[in-house]
Amino acid sequence: MTAFLQTLIFGLATGAVISLSAVGLSLSYGVTRFINFSYGEFLTLGAYFTVLGVALGLSLPVAIVLAMAAVGIAGVALARVFFDPLMDRGFLPLLVTSVGLAFVLQNVVRMFAGSNPIRFPLPLMRPWHVGALFVPKVPVLVVVVALLAMIGVHLLLTLTRIGKMMRATSDNPALARASGISTARVLAATWFLSSAIGGLGGVLLAMTQIAVQPVMGWSFLLVVFAAVLLGGIGNPYGAMLGSLVVGLGIELGTTYLSPDYGHAFAFLILVLVLLLRPRGILRGAF
Amino acid sequence: MALLPFLVGLLTLALIYGLLALGLNLQYGVTGLLNFGHVAFFAIGAFTSALLTLPPKGSAAYLQAGAHYQIGLGWPVPVGFLLAGVAGGLLALLIGATSVRLSSHYLAIATFAMAEIVRSVLTNEDWLTRGEFGISNVPQPLKDTVIPASVYPYAYLAATAVVVAVLLALTVRLTESPYGRALRSVRDDEVAARSLGKRTPALKLGAFAVGGALAGFAGSLWTHSLGVVHVGQFVPIVTFQVWLAVLMGGSGNAYGALLGSLALMAITQSTRFLGDLPLLSGLTRRNPSFVPSLRFVLIGLLLIGVVRFFPRGILPERPRRPRRRAGPGRREGAGGEGSAGGQDHGGQDHGGQDHGGEDRGGEDRGGDAGGGLGDEAAGDAPPGEAKP
Repeated sequence: MTAFLQTLIFGLATGAVISLSAVGLSLSYGVTRFINFSYGEFLTLGAYFTVLGVALGLSLPVAIVLAMAAVGIAGVALARVFFDPLMDRGFLPLLVTSVGLAFVLQNVVRMFAGSNPIRFPLPLMRPWHVGALFVPKVPVLVVVVALLAMIGVHLLLTLTRIGKMMRATSDNPALARASGISTARVLAATWFLSSAIGGLGGVLLAMTQIAVQPVMGWSFLLVVFAAVLLGGIGNPYGAMLGSLVVGLGIELGTTYLSPDYGHAFAFLILVLVLLLRPRGILRGAF
Repeated sequence: MALLPFLVGLLTLALIYGLLALGLNLQYGVTGLLNFGHVAFFAIGAFTSALLTLPPKGSAAYLQAGAHYQIGLGWPVPVGFLLAGVAGGLLALLIGATSVRLSSHYLAIATFAMAEIVRSVLTNEDWLTRGEFGISNVPQPLKDTVIPASVYPYAYLAATAVVVAVLLALTVRLTESPYGRALRSVRDDEVAARSLGKRTPALKLGAFAVGGALAGFAGSLWTHSLGVVHVGQFVPIVTFQVWLAVLMGGSGNAYGALLGSLALMAITQSTRFLGDLPLLSGLTRRNPSFVPSLRFVLIGLLLIGVVRFFPRGILPERPRRPRRRAGPGRREGAGGEGSAGGQDHGGQDHGGQDHGGEDRGGEDRGGDAGGGLGDEAAGDAPPGEAKP
């Protein structure tokens, strides 16, 4: 029972990381209409920028915020250079370009930081004792941060002007343009938001994995895809739900079925979803 | 370093990748299927061929090599080669049967995920594959017995060239037949093809399986040329290198696929020597992964550049008799007035089906000028999981 609860806690933390990243990916899909294979690299960049910031003497929270902003700006710049010129050429060029960009970013990180894992500078935290149960603080912290961030995204989408403009553009770009929304501005704002969220997702991923490595985002990408598709593509709220299922699925599968397969359980979930419910659990617009 | 052995190695590799590209070209270039997991068929072919032809466990050759694998059947290499193709085809049939009906985005992700599952299985079932260690004494046919080791690379190159030429001829024959025309019709306008009575799922599955079989053959050629097989060789970037070869060569054109592979290999193999440049060697000493990473950066940039600036490739698909439909439902292709194929088929014709048929299927992309008018045809497209 204790083991099950432990698994559950880690499953929730994994789910929270997936969830946050999936929300970011969904946001960009909603407006750009292609699945960004370079999204995982935004996670990697977020984690590495944070490590860099701490190495330069910043405190961890400040480093995280600056890293998110840096990834957000990088996302806008990369989109402007690589994706915007292809926006009217259909999705295959965008898809292939995003794969190419993923290789470029991942290997640029490797060129400058090396292939070896670097420890994420997280202070040591003693677990809480609740009865016979050890509750490690890191997963709880991860869940809390991810939840706060998602609540923030929700408020942004529902209450602010730019959030409403994003939803309108995602819903019906032609109508949004006709009602005077500057789609270019919305596109840039969405890229910023989605990349910055990805950066934070990478930080949380690094916390759960203890170390950062250049492939961390790329190998995590399929898990995020699984969650996004499970929840209904382009739907951030569905993505949150899908992530919970995938996160718990990975942890439970690893603990009770086979420890070797790890992420493969997510791919299995992904394939099953594609076969059984290609529109996801929740469909429709956000 | 000697130039001739380098060239021979490069050509052999280019032919093997050419075979992979031939398979992907049949799937994507001709039929329009987004296969992002091609490496899985390559891997299955390589392991099948290796395990079938390895000397059996406990045999003299096994003991002499100090090997550790569990399964080796000691069958002749040609049998291993043929069965590698069969295995690649069967795996493609299995993957295709489950996912070929998915629309493009979903198919890309599903194939990508399934290739990762295959890799995960190959890594973890180490009783079969020796996992990360790999198997190092895969037989090289006729080596030392008939052909001396000194000329072996040349002989292998010649044999590979013959095999690839035969498979190329068969593939071209297939795509120039009425069957090939039906495949292209699926790519260009699946709804129209279906309305004319073509069984598009079966056509797609067929193309997928044949493409997988070609990749399986390539896997066999590869493993016997190296004498080694291990899981680390079959990472996703292989898939995208093949994509680069197909796009660079000219998608839809089988000869283009081969030419693209040659160009790809010329680029990737020559960049191996980047570390010897005086400017970079200092950096290499500090970070040993600097130059390998730089090569992948170059591959990524090349992929981006080809898609953006050179979408029709070196040998574009031969323009076929253009079929024009009148009426406002169709915009003219962005790139070619007279060509029905080439780069356009990624954009125009799949556009309507790309996001799995949400209710707002008509509003395709934000940047689509005049999207409302241009997407009338798209609005009628079937949803992602459409079953006929």
